[in-house]
Amino acid sequence: MVSIQIRGLVKRFDDVVALNQLDLDIQSGELFFLLGPSGCGKTTLLRSIAGFHLPDEGSIQFDNDDVTNVPPHKRETAMMFQSYALWPHLNVFRNVAFGLEERKVNKAEIKERVDEALVMVKMEGLGTRKINQLSGGQQQRVALARALVVRPRCLMLDEPLSNLDAKLRIEMRGEIRRICKEFGLTAIYVTHDQKEALSIADRLAILDGGNIAQVGTPEEVYRRPRTALVAGFIGETNLLKGEVAFISGENVYVKTSVGDLAGRPSDPQQVPEPGTAVTLSIRPECLSIETTPPARNEIAGHLTESIYLGEVAQYSLQSPGREEPFHISELNPRRVIRDTEQKLYATAKPEDVVILPDS
Amino acid sequence: MNRKLAVTIYAGTAIFFALFFVYPIWHTVKEAFVTTDGKLTFAYIGEIFQNPVYVEGLVNSFYMGLFTTILSLLIALPLALLANTWNFKGKEILNSLILVPLILPPFVGALGIKQLLGQAGVLNAFLIDLGLMNAAAPFDWLGEGRLFGVVLMNALHLYPIAYLNVSAALANVDPAMEEAAENLGCHGLRRLWRITLPMIMPGMFAGATIIFIWSFTELGVPLIFDFTRVTSVQIFDGIKDLSGNPFPYALVVVLLILTVAFYLIGKWLFGKEIAVSSGRAATGRSLRNASPLMNAICIGVFVLVTGLAVLPHLGVILLSVSNQWYGTIFPSDFTGQHYFDALGHPLTLNSIGNSLKYASLATVTNVILGIAIAYVVVRTKLPGRQFLDAMAMLPLAVPGLVLAFGYLAMTRQGQLFDFLILGENPILILVIAYAVRRLPYVVRSAAAGFQQTSVTLEEAAQNLGCPPLKSLTKVTLPLIAANLIAGGLLAFSFAMLEVSDSLILAEQQQHFPITKAIYALVSSLGTGPHIASALGVWAMAFLAITITGAGLILGKKMGALFRV
Repeated sequence: MVSIQIRGLVKRFDDVVALNQLDLDIQSGELFFLLGPSGCGKTTLLRSIAGFHLPDEGSIQFDNDDVTNVPPHKRETAMMFQSYALWPHLNVFRNVAFGLEERKVNKAEIKERVDEALVMVKMEGLGTRKINQLSGGQQQRVALARALVVRPRCLMLDEPLSNLDAKLRIEMRGEIRRICKEFGLTAIYVTHDQKEALSIADRLAILDGGNIAQVGTPEEVYRRPRTALVAGFIGETNLLKGEVAFISGENVYVKTSVGDLAGRPSDPQQVPEPGTAVTLSIRPECLSIETTPPARNEIAGHLTESIYLGEVAQYSLQSPGREEPFHISELNPRRVIRDTEQKLYATAKPEDVVILPDS
Repeated sequence: MNRKLAVTIYAGTAIFFALFFVYPIWHTVKEAFVTTDGKLTFAYIGEIFQNPVYVEGLVNSFYMGLFTTILSLLIALPLALLANTWNFKGKEILNSLILVPLILPPFVGALGIKQLLGQAGVLNAFLIDLGLMNAAAPFDWLGEGRLFGVVLMNALHLYPIAYLNVSAALANVDPAMEEAAENLGCHGLRRLWRITLPMIMPGMFAGATIIFIWSFTELGVPLIFDFTRVTSVQIFDGIKDLSGNPFPYALVVVLLILTVAFYLIGKWLFGKEIAVSSGRAATGRSLRNASPLMNAICIGVFVLVTGLAVLPHLGVILLSVSNQWYGTIFPSDFTGQHYFDALGHPLTLNSIGNSLKYASLATVTNVILGIAIAYVVVRTKLPGRQFLDAMAMLPLAVPGLVLAFGYLAMTRQGQLFDFLILGENPILILVIAYAVRRLPYVVRSAAAGFQQTSVTLEEAAQNLGCPPLKSLTKVTLPLIAANLIAGGLLAFSFAMLEVSDSLILAEQQQHFPITKAIYALVSSLGTGPHIASALGVWAMAFLAITITGAGLILGKKMGALFRV
């Protein structure tokens, strides 16, 4: 399995810059996710790695071997397409066997490996089916088998689950991770579904405007986002502008329109100086709601909305200093507050208040 | 739409089809299977296969259809592949020019081909000038039996149909299908063969079907080439004595049966419907910008094919202004006289008037029927409306020659529809014949218009107190006028240059349409062919104006009319 090194990659479509001086390293055997809002360049990046786009500048290396100008059919990657791209004129077996036939594998081995691949995706015995006789989930499995059977140097998945219903999606994403790990595959997975990424990625990259906004493990990216965009894209968050007042130990105190709040910098290496303009990110589930003033990090206000969802209660707290209400999620709510008159307080632990550079 | 009106329209159009589509075919079939004393017999059909002349005609017809289809596909496929892969300079204009040959009458072009490739033609004169050919024994390019010339002319006329169908099929292939193959190591021609061609096979087959049916029964081109050993010409010759002679009927029936049989065999071999998988395409087909070399190749191929295809007609233009053109590359003596002759000659002037009359009436009929059928099909929920739709498309699948023969048979003296011939004037039956043949195009464009125009616009009018029929004419018809005009223009221009109905149904000189006049002139001696060419050029000028009009109104949608 290959490791992939991308250096200074630029891809333009007419006047639109799809990839802008992008650098990225993907480790061998890693299940790596590309995530981002639509138009961020994630699909362009995937297709460039597969060889479908020729970059305008920069290089792509597999195991430090330059493949920038190698055409797609010689890269030995295998892509699973969003539309599956199963050929309707070939049956299931012939679809899966295609890549092996192109690699001039002998007939007996093709038979053996295709059968093996079909077993792996739980499609054994369905080799003679036509593509249009398959359900969406089965088509997805065939597409996966077709990509896996050639033992690619790198497996690429382009929103492979977007055509499936929610239940099947959850089942299949576990399946994909199991297979990738079983074979130690280097896999690159494009999605816009953050749950998919958080649940099975080894590492993920958030793309924004043709560049990498952040690379890290799911926990790192969720707990310590580096920019407001990343914080807002992965999960929900409350963003709040402010100015650093003073620093005390690990805590950085920030003066905001709703009062002083203590937080921690997203990057512990880069503690902002007092006087710097910053943005705070506080996840709804990090805020708790109190009826009496808490010891610190208090945000006072009134409820404008409360929604009970069983396992969670969602509140909107309007604070005088901020136009938008704060979103608060309380897990395992024992009682729901509905009183809009009562003065209430939201609070968060300093380690849950992430200080980001002002965007 | 009120149901009673819909049912009336449905019934009316159904009766029209029964009388002028089903009945003529049925009438012909009956004559071929029933003896004079009313007994069922297969002897006439059997006789066809016993007679070596008829068998040779059938074999030649089959070759004519098969080779024309293959040659058309061979011309169209590379063009379509280039146009669907690359962006090159001037593509827009080249892409429309490539379709021009479809509207140039092959019947007229055949005159030009003869001039270019005949023994005393331009190519031989050129080769003799270069010293590459012995002037005493010039090579006969059109070959013994002239099948080669006929096939070449047919293919140069019909390849745009293949081009349109293949292009449409290619555009519908999810590019991911090809990328998946590329990704798994399958590239270039191999990918074309393993993935692209199988996927566009149904589209190619649809185009090939039209071309095959068209050329298998083509009458005009072999007639001009004096290629008499094909079934279509044999039927045409047989018309001269129809009374008591069952063999022309039997030939027509054999032709019809073979057409259906070849269609079914082809469908079984190539036309298997490929159901597209449910996933949606992730990306549209993005065309690559051509390198300078590729630019040159693309432009070169398009210009070459278009040039070859219009060459016969250029030959016709030269022929029409030449006084002397025999064994030389260019005419040795020029004159504009033929154009005046063509307008002054009683035969020609009359024929232009006749054609205008027939074609306009047919077009009006077409537009009225087209609106009615399209309305019932698109806007009502009447059971059986799909049947009506299929019926309206059928004239594409039945050879024009078969229908023309049916019309002739059913309007002969003493037959049921004798009254349609007014004295000796075939105007009514010719108008009906033209209308039925071109109805599919008009129905297609009218239906497209109805589909694009929301029914709520009409409902709003009705809601404000406008009765249903009036709301149709006041609201919807003006909105789809462009579609109707385009479809109508197309029907009109095809009617102006229609061959088989015209040659078969117009028997008296004063009732000849243009095509029959050209045919009569070609076979006459002296300046006949030159005047015929001049008349052909007048006709092409007419056509150019109509088609340009249709193109301006319809824009790019023009091509959609030729897809099945």
